[in-house]
Amino acid sequence: MSTLNVSNISDGTTSVGTGYVVNGSAKAWCMLNQSATNDAFYDSYNFSSSTDDGTGKTTVTFASGMANANYATPSMTESGTGFNDVRTLNRDSSQTRGSSSYSFYNCHSGNYADNSQYVSVVFFGDLA
Amino acid sequence: MTHLWERLLEAKSRLAPVQSKYRVLFEDPNAPDEPAKVLVPDPNWMAAALAGGYLPPIDTYQRDRLVPDGEPKEHPYAEPIGAMTEEEAIEYLVMKDIDPAVWRDYKGNRTIMKIVPVEMIPSDRSFRNAWVIAQPKAEEVA
Repeated sequence: MSTLNVSNISDGTTSVGTGYVVNGSAKAWCMLNQSATNDAFYDSYNFSSSTDDGTGKTTVTFASGMANANYATPSMTESGTGFNDVRTLNRDSSQTRGSSSYSFYNCHSGNYADNSQYVSVVFFGDLA
Repeated sequence: MTHLWERLLEAKSRLAPVQSKYRVLFEDPNAPDEPAKVLVPDPNWMAAALAGGYLPPIDTYQRDRLVPDGEPKEHPYAEPIGAMTEEEAIEYLVMKDIDPAVWRDYKGNRTIMKIVPVEMIPSDRSFRNAWVIAQPKAEEVA
């Protein structure tokens, strides 16, 4: 793999420091299926595994760890079976937010953990 | 040495994902009321493990467990190891992603971890929160 060493990227009019591009990139992302234990990840980057912790509960473990647990985690969940069920991804106090892994549960609007066919999570932050 | 994150980027661009034929079932000895957990290897990670030249030695992750957040970690810049078999990759994953309290420190009589073929994981999740690891029948002692 060849390496390009530049401090700025420019389109001829405006320029941006390479550090902003690298530091602003997602460090890990995944789309997974909580309904099928046998085929959890649809696609991903920078994970070594996902763990099915129970109904609607998942832990993802980074391959290349984060510097700390202060990363941002935009996320989305889709049931795949209808449009009326409101769901969010949450994390309760018993679940891990660490520099090597992150646990979450898929919360149905009825206030219970439920499996979802499509869960997307993106991680922004600093790498170790 | 290139950062592991960059090596994984190269691996993803070059290697086809590999769905493992194994899963790791385990129970948390510190939370006996919780259901059994099922660890699923990431197909992109498995491809990198089987190819070799991308992943750091497992002992770097184990030493990094003891390093506080914010301090420099060893695993991102460690010299990559060679190709593993799928069985070796699963053992590596157990030591990397499962708490040592499960695979190293547990001294009880229950079987709390099993590496199983994927076909042994139930596809019916109706009673998912009741899953436990089946225990071998007690051998009678004469």
